[in-house]
Amino acid sequence: MTAVAPLSSSGPAPSGAAPGGEQDPDAAVTDSGGGRARRGLTPYWLLLPAGLWLAVFFVAPLFYQASTSVQSGSLEEGFRVTWQFSNYTDALGTYGTHFVRSFGYAAVATALCLLIGYPLAYMIAVRAGRWRNLLLVLVIAPFFTSFLIRTLAWKTILSDGGPVVSVLSSLHILDVTSWLGLTGGERVLATPLAVVCGLTYNFLPFMILPLYSSLERIDTSLLEAARDLYAKPATTFRKVTFPLSLPGVVAGTLLTFIPASGDYINAQLLGSPNEQMVGNAIQKQFLNVLDYPTAAAMSFILMALILIMVSVYMRKAGTEELV
Amino acid sequence: MTITLSGIAKTFGDFTAVHPLDLTVPEGSFFALLGASGCGKTTTLRMIAGLEEPTSGSILLGEDDITRLPPHKRPVNTVFQNYALFPHLDVTENIAFGLRRRGVKSVSKQVAEMLDLVQLGDMARRKPRQLSGGQQQRVALARALINRPQVLLLDEPLGALDLKLRRQMQLELKRIQTEVGITFVHVTHDQEEAMTMADSVAVMYGGRVEQLGPPAELYENPRSTFVANFLGTSNLIEAEVLSPGTAGPEQLRVQVVGADATLRLPAARCAVDGVGAGTKVLVGVRPEKISLAHTDDADSVPRGVPEDHNRLTGRITDASYLGVSWQYVVESPAGTQLTVYEQNVSRDSRLTPGAHVVLHWQPAHTFALDAAQDAAAGEEAV
Repeated sequence: MTAVAPLSSSGPAPSGAAPGGEQDPDAAVTDSGGGRARRGLTPYWLLLPAGLWLAVFFVAPLFYQASTSVQSGSLEEGFRVTWQFSNYTDALGTYGTHFVRSFGYAAVATALCLLIGYPLAYMIAVRAGRWRNLLLVLVIAPFFTSFLIRTLAWKTILSDGGPVVSVLSSLHILDVTSWLGLTGGERVLATPLAVVCGLTYNFLPFMILPLYSSLERIDTSLLEAARDLYAKPATTFRKVTFPLSLPGVVAGTLLTFIPASGDYINAQLLGSPNEQMVGNAIQKQFLNVLDYPTAAAMSFILMALILIMVSVYMRKAGTEELV
Repeated sequence: MTITLSGIAKTFGDFTAVHPLDLTVPEGSFFALLGASGCGKTTTLRMIAGLEEPTSGSILLGEDDITRLPPHKRPVNTVFQNYALFPHLDVTENIAFGLRRRGVKSVSKQVAEMLDLVQLGDMARRKPRQLSGGQQQRVALARALINRPQVLLLDEPLGALDLKLRRQMQLELKRIQTEVGITFVHVTHDQEEAMTMADSVAVMYGGRVEQLGPPAELYENPRSTFVANFLGTSNLIEAEVLSPGTAGPEQLRVQVVGADATLRLPAARCAVDGVGAGTKVLVGVRPEKISLAHTDDADSVPRGVPEDHNRLTGRITDASYLGVSWQYVVESPAGTQLTVYEQNVSRDSRLTPGAHVVLHWQPAHTFALDAAQDAAAGEEAV
């Protein structure tokens, strides 16, 4: 109680009466002055706008979709909640391949993003010197154009008989990719390769930026220490640089893999019906077939699978110790 | 292993960090590179480590030229200024890093020995950020020493520690150096640290070695105003040499500029080449070498000034109590503020600001420097 006196004297005048109040036994500790009580609430006030936004535009729709996913009926008769969990098993049965394909494409695109993005992020973070800011602007420059336009541009780039296809063809790269089942015949468009290319391109900045920020933060004296302790440049990378950049790798792969597995634009514009991803299937169920329960069930399956994969991945990566 | 730097220099763009310098660090010695920040001491150390490539010159380790060897091929290890411990590895793996890179399979015994040496046995599985500054410092030391380097380089290893811990680690470093017998090259800006630890000290200033020698020699016999001021405090008095030889072959007599006083000093302690009558010099004397006598009994016995002492008159402007001693600032006609440390034994109570006093000291404690230098060099740097 002795601490109360100096504190309340610094607070607003009326608060002097508060500690004497009989309402709350903890009052003397938690609320020795009006100023402190207000400070205690400040974080909640700061959370309010985002909290409201999420409640209205995320939590409420989520519950609405959850109830939709266990409804039955048809558009004409109306849908009603019948706890029809078979929506889930049916969706998995019918669209199982779409799920597998989505995660497959997303995984390949994420791996490609990492392979392309890591050296670039490393270069920008470590070697770029005064070009660093310019290069970073160039990395995010594609965002100045709409996602849709950029993906459509790939349609032109990969068009049949276009320069890319003819170069790939004359170098016999297309033979290799079609042997791998990524392309068919002399075309790239409407093949898995095109969809993966589109995904990789569209999500590359989301890989590069977190990688850059974790690489840029590495203390260069650690690299010097490694070299001083008999590590060859390659070993220094393997034993020091890469482990220390893992938080960026994890953040980058999540930011790439999660949206990529739910994406449908790339498959829509660059693929054929054979490359449909789960996003396309959901979109079709919602907007064409108008089977809302199945579409909602698929959305929840997608969300659950991603959550499971992400939590397993995070546990494996064990990066919480690094930050 | 002896390190020989010959004509080693480093420039960054048009800035010369290290002017061509020659330096020999004898095997098994504790060698300090001392200087203010930006004097080139760390650059010199980094060139020995291989982290900086010299613009010219060569570095020999024993008989081998290591100038162009990359750092991972040099039998030299470094304790970095901020330790540079690997944050993702625990203490054991940090210490074992060098051994593992050289393909040593079983490291546990050696790591345990090292942990004992630096007294961190129970910290083996901690991560660096779970350690205090002093403990991190020990891990950094163990990580370097475990490799049994020919030379251990220490870049301001104690700079991040507080004063008390720093004193403790100084003694510990000295103990470890004696124990392992490896050549230590220690970079520091702390003159006290250099003096207490090192067998020999190279004082650097503006990318050059000002003076090299054992600490006592540097302190007693500085050859430049920078060394005189950077290592401890010196009183520098402008004077002109009177014709040499008048006070015997071993002694020089000088006339103080602006005061009616002549001083004597050993000719060997004059750092100016080819002195003759009229040569301008800066006469130096350390504050603790000077005694004060009140003017009233300067010529009396027993408190008076001994016959053969150098003497100057002045007036006390400031007296401060430092515990073990009193520090006086005395204004003298010689044009400078002279600092005097008097042991706190039997103080003359008349020695208060305003009192007229005679400063006196033995001629043997006097040195002389070239007057062409900046008399204040090295003062502000401490």
